[in-house]
Amino acid sequence: MAKHATPLLDELEKGPWPSFVTDLKRQAEKSPQCWDILGQMELSYKDRITHWKHGGIVGVFGYGGGIVGRYSDSPDKFPGVAHFHTVRLNQPSSKFYRTDMLRKVCDIWEKRGSGMTNFHGSTGDLVLLGTTTDQLEPLFYQMTHELNWDLGGSGSNLRTPSCCLGKARCEYACYDTQAACYGLTMKYQDEIHRPAFPYKFKFKFSGCPNDCVASIARSDLSVIGTWRDDIRIDQAMVKKYMAGEIPAEGNAHGSRNWGKFDIQKEVINLCPTGCMSLDGGALKIDNANCTRCMHCINVMPRALRPGTDTGATILCGAKAPILEGAQFATMIIPFMKIDPENEFEELVELIEKIWDWWMEVGKNRERVGETMQRLGLPTFLEVMELDPLPQHVKEPRSNPYVFWKEEEVEGGWERNVKEFRKRHNM
Amino acid sequence: MALSKDELKAAILKKAMESPKPQLYVKDFYACDPDTKPRDIKKAANELVTDGKMVFWSSGSTTMYAAKGRAKDESARGV
Ligand code: SF4
Ligand code: SF4
Repeated sequence: MAKHATPLLDELEKGPWPSFVTDLKRQAEKSPQCWDILGQMELSYKDRITHWKHGGIVGVFGYGGGIVGRYSDSPDKFPGVAHFHTVRLNQPSSKFYRTDMLRKVCDIWEKRGSGMTNFHGSTGDLVLLGTTTDQLEPLFYQMTHELNWDLGGSGSNLRTPSCCLGKARCEYACYDTQAACYGLTMKYQDEIHRPAFPYKFKFKFSGCPNDCVASIARSDLSVIGTWRDDIRIDQAMVKKYMAGEIPAEGNAHGSRNWGKFDIQKEVINLCPTGCMSLDGGALKIDNANCTRCMHCINVMPRALRPGTDTGATILCGAKAPILEGAQFATMIIPFMKIDPENEFEELVELIEKIWDWWMEVGKNRERVGETMQRLGLPTFLEVMELDPLPQHVKEPRSNPYVFWKEEEVEGGWERNVKEFRKRHNM
Repeated sequence: MALSKDELKAAILKKAMESPKPQLYVKDFYACDPDTKPRDIKKAANELVTDGKMVFWSSGSTTMYAAKGRAKDESARGV
């Protein structure tokens, strides 16, 4: 029997789609605190403000992350959610779960918390929503000792790394995203569990430029698979696509009749760099001008495949719009080999160089992308000991000044500011 | 010359006990020893938590440090 009237929330049950309100009502039959979530949420909808408060010394011993303290600001009205902490569990790479493990997590969570879950938070963690302070240590003990399952990151920590399906299921994967995600998760356990930085830091790994984990938009360090040789072309298959014998895009849009496949219109004319052409019925690609956008490969996967000299492009500095505004990552290294054999040596070296710099110069609550913006890309590249490349240029220059340093100019120069000022009075 | 690990931990704890703000960012401890790298300062601060002398204070999106007993705690405010 509902504890609070929730006319506004009830509206969300009326559409044809599944409703979290219905789910919460069902869960409330088992976990009565869920009635108070519904009540508090209804009040928030009415008042148009949140009634949650964050902050406090909530955690498990020795960990400075993984649990987010949450309290109701109206505990008298909603005692069931007076304390309602969130627990983040480190999801397995690519989110491959064994169903028996999911059942065990749910059993523990129904006993020690509200039973409410979120699969998954935007960083990637499996999120358990709502428990009290006294349940945290026993829950942590059971998760780690019975299920061998650890907490994820929160606060100014390295956040739980995440990756796409990669080589486990996807033929486009240009490196083993799961190996990289797991390898770096294990290497940086201290940074995941304990605060380390001016603000949060996220790694995300996508196996190809389709970027299924949206790393370019959502991670401070984005590793996107790519290749540096040529796209592999099977001309016989290209002909089959052209003849309509194989449906384009794996028939993903087959529910509607789009007419006959037109390679000129649907592939060649849509290539962003115009580097494709048909030459006597054969498809040609000027690979030096291909930006690896994946469009042609996605449309004709049986005819075109990424090259075989594969690795990843490294980008840095994406973030969501909390301060300043949303920002995409900046391309830093066009191609790097990602090699589990040498424990991702090159990538690790770059990561630690970025961290050392950001920890030194980053302001409190400043994401690395904001530090890069504040101090400028030339400074960032210099600290990273990287030479500027044409690929770093995002737009034609609009700033007319070029500042040289003395050591960059052969022979250097003598600077006499006094003499200069005599001639150019300010 | 950089402080020894124990001297550094003592300086961090002193700062946490005496600073007007009870909650401090890791960066606030950098001044305890300008000759030590930020990553090592962070490690020393985290050791103080393991030693039970400091606690982590989380706002959800950022994590701060406080000397044990000094941190503002929502649950202690009768919530
Ligand atoms: S990002 Fe690329 S490799 Fe990874 S799952 Fe998506 S399409 Fe496949
Ligand atoms: S991947 Fe993109 S840029 Fe490269 S050839 Fe195909 S459509 Fe053109």
